[in-house]
Amino acid sequence: MSGTSPGTAVIETRALSKVYRDFWGRQKVRALKALDLEVYQGEIFGLLGPNGSGKSTTIKLLLGLLFPTDGQALVFGKEATDVSKNERIGYLPEESYLYKFLNAEETLDFYGRLFDIPAEVRKERIEKLLKLVGIDRARKRQLREYSKGMTRRIGLAQALINDPELILLDEPTSGLDPIGTREMKDMILQLRDQGKTVVMCSHLLADVQDVCDRIAILHQGELKELGRVDSLLTVEDVTQVRARNLSDDCKNELRDVIQRHGGDLLEMDNPTTTLEDLFLSIVRDSEERPGRRVVGPQSTAGGDTPAPPATAN
Amino acid sequence: MVVENEVLPYLQWLWRGDGASFVDGKGALVQFAIIALTIFVLGLVGGFLVALVRQGPVRAGEITYRTLVGGFGDLFRLSFRRIAALASLAIKESLRRRVWVALVVFAMILLFASWYLGVNNREPARLYLSFVTAATSYLMLLLSLVLAAFSLPTDIKNKTLYTVTTKPVRSGDIVLGRILGFTVLGTALLAIMAAASWFFVNGALAHTHTVDTRSLEAIRGADGETIGKEGETSRDAFHTHPFSVDAEGYGFTDQVSEHSHALTADGDAIVVGPAEGYLRARVPLRGKISFLNPQGVPVAKGISVGNEWSYRSFIQGSTQAAAVWTFDGVNESTLMEYEDGSKYLPVAAIVRVYRSYKGIIEQAIQGSIQLRNPETGVKSTLRVFPAKDFAIDSFEFANEQTDTDQNDITILDDLVTEDGRIEVIIQCLDRGQYFGFAQADCFIRLPEGSPLWNFVKGFLSIWMQMVIVIAVAVMMSTFLSGPIAMVTAITFIVLGFFRTFFLQIALGESYGGGPVESLVRLVTQMNVMSPFERTPSVDAMKAIDGVLKGAMRAVSNVLPDFSTYLDRVRYVAEGFSIPTDAVLHDLTVSLAYVVGMAIVGYFCLRTREVAKS
Ligand SMILES: Nc1ncnc2c1ncn2[C@@H]1O[C@H](COP(=O)(O)OP(=O)(O)O)[C@@H](O)[C@H]1O
Ligand SMILES: [Mg+2]
Repeated sequence: MSGTSPGTAVIETRALSKVYRDFWGRQKVRALKALDLEVYQGEIFGLLGPNGSGKSTTIKLLLGLLFPTDGQALVFGKEATDVSKNERIGYLPEESYLYKFLNAEETLDFYGRLFDIPAEVRKERIEKLLKLVGIDRARKRQLREYSKGMTRRIGLAQALINDPELILLDEPTSGLDPIGTREMKDMILQLRDQGKTVVMCSHLLADVQDVCDRIAILHQGELKELGRVDSLLTVEDVTQVRARNLSDDCKNELRDVIQRHGGDLLEMDNPTTTLEDLFLSIVRDSEERPGRRVVGPQSTAGGDTPAPPATAN
Repeated sequence: MVVENEVLPYLQWLWRGDGASFVDGKGALVQFAIIALTIFVLGLVGGFLVALVRQGPVRAGEITYRTLVGGFGDLFRLSFRRIAALASLAIKESLRRRVWVALVVFAMILLFASWYLGVNNREPARLYLSFVTAATSYLMLLLSLVLAAFSLPTDIKNKTLYTVTTKPVRSGDIVLGRILGFTVLGTALLAIMAAASWFFVNGALAHTHTVDTRSLEAIRGADGETIGKEGETSRDAFHTHPFSVDAEGYGFTDQVSEHSHALTADGDAIVVGPAEGYLRARVPLRGKISFLNPQGVPVAKGISVGNEWSYRSFIQGSTQAAAVWTFDGVNESTLMEYEDGSKYLPVAAIVRVYRSYKGIIEQAIQGSIQLRNPETGVKSTLRVFPAKDFAIDSFEFANEQTDTDQNDITILDDLVTEDGRIEVIIQCLDRGQYFGFAQADCFIRLPEGSPLWNFVKGFLSIWMQMVIVIAVAVMMSTFLSGPIAMVTAITFIVLGFFRTFFLQIALGESYGGGPVESLVRLVTQMNVMSPFERTPSVDAMKAIDGVLKGAMRAVSNVLPDFSTYLDRVRYVAEGFSIPTDAVLHDLTVSLAYVVGMAIVGYFCLRTREVAKS
């Protein structure tokens, strides 16, 4: 579909700056200061930064929703304000700005009609996307009845309606539960596997770490760090060893060996799993065996239904 | 009071207006081009200045250039598919906001009307028609204003427009989609209201009578045999009709309250049919008016009697003063045919009676009407008639006439000139009383059009008014917030209704001077005629007025003349067919507004930073 091949820059910004002004043209906020970025075909690029650091501003500039105060934003080699680039772009806004009076199906149909897609393809794609984002069963309900997570999902479906080559996601996991977050991350990885370029911004470090190939860290509108996630996070002078079924003797021996070689033992203990892993395993378990899960005696919050005798541990 | 403004033939209006040729620049096309060019230049300069203040000269130049080039480029990349999608979105939005409540309101209005508007009126059709058209017109104005003014600002406020503008949507698609969507919706609502109105008016006017048998009397011929009957109908809907029938019992009642009933025999009884002739679509052939003074000498105007509308002139009774209409293009086909094949010239006149003394108030003032050949001077005999003030009098002049010397003549051979001209002369016969006439007050009746079709044309006028309002409100909502867009649009519309007055002030033709001067006069309770003494502050006042008047003149150029649409609807209420030229003229103007507003709205929305709100 496109003329871009892996390795070519899909997005290029040159000294991109944005100053928000009030009605009279007086300066209010310098939201972005001379940003230079390149995003390449086929990668997942993360914009990381605290709230108000200019992530959304960057994305809106790339979409032409805002006009740069200075500098240039090029998407597919064209000015970001050029509407025709939108044919190849999908955008998930920070909050899903969708029409609350439409239902899921109507929403996708409406956005689909804004593209030059044949009607059959559009219908097919709507079916596929409704299933992909998992709101198939709520397809006839108006969006005003949707929960935050469901709105995010339909928002993503809407962004994918034109089978875009470049997808811009503003806080894709905000408002999602851990399962939703996991699914969202999996979908993002899947999109990359299909050869699409993804730009996402987030202040959730774990999300960015899990999916992004490269990241840029913004702070107060300034670019602070830029590079591959794996190389940025590799701690060059630390070695990690993980082993199962070590005896105490073996552990002591290891300590000695490290000491003998002049190494510095930082820690050696039993790892804890993450809460995310625990939560996910509980939910999966519960999906396999529906019913009340047996937990410790302290959690008899149910009141009227007496908890069965504790057998845990 | 019939229609006063002359409607120019469509192509003439478009091409040269009331000027002699295209070059005079009075044609609508030229006017439109001038306005479009002015707005274009103003927009360009204004946009550049704003950018200059905000971004400095280099960037301002670049922005202006890019807006211009890119803007006109994108103007041709509109897509009907996207416009249709956005239009159906606008419709869905309105439906989910329960616009159909307007129909409920309309039904309630009709319901109340049927209780409060009795038929105790000399012109019930006019009453009902003006009522339904006014109700529909104002309801639709309000509805389209609210829908159109708030839609886009709500989208911007809810940021739903962000998502839309990240699709390959041009600003023009958004503006046109809105205009189209609300127009389609408004059309559907208006069609329902029109149908309801039609049935309501017909239902409200429908009535019949029975024959009041006590009033029946036989009409006897010369030989004493019964040749028919005469009598009165029962009193229904506040009136009775006198009538006469032939020996078999067939005939028509007299006209009362602008309608009559057919009478048919059913055995011995006479049956009264439904009311006929309430709804009319008269097609007048209009003439040029001139006056004769009391000595019978042609003058441009008659006597102008005090407080009357200045356009209407008066002729004095029992003198040689007369109002003379000269009609053009009268030929055999102008004449109508009776059932027996003989022909007649149907003339209608509306006489405004001005009594200089009261006289016997029940007794009508007598007038006379006659036909004259403007070349040979041959006149038909005087026909005397009682003048009904303000109602349409119909005269049927049979083709066979006698002239003032008792010679047998015919209208076609002796009263109409070779080139198809004929004169109608009306005089007032009562001494000391006056008749008042305007040019439109006398006309030859051409075959009538269909009342239903005329009714549709009337609603088409309301529709065009609605379309203009939608276009204006959508345009304003591209750069103003909802409530402000609505208030501005309302101002625009109100000024449109009073455009003539507005223009008078702007041109300095109204008494009391310009806006500031009239304000000063108002506050100091100063007479509108008395002049000011020359002081520096008075000079300053006049100077400010000069500037304001200039601005008003400029604004009046783009103001839609909404009084035109009121006028068109009045045609329907008064039973006149809306001329096709007028419909074409109005359609063209509406189209010009839609195109103009869409383009202005497109540029406003395009240069707006959507995400910065
Ligand atoms: N429309 C606006 N008007 C004025 N200031 C804004 C506007 N949008 C964002 N800002 C400011 O710009 C800065 C960057 O905002 P944003 O890009 O939304 O941050 P984030 O990284 O959280 O997405 C913040 O200081 C914010 O207050
Ligand atoms: Mg943000």
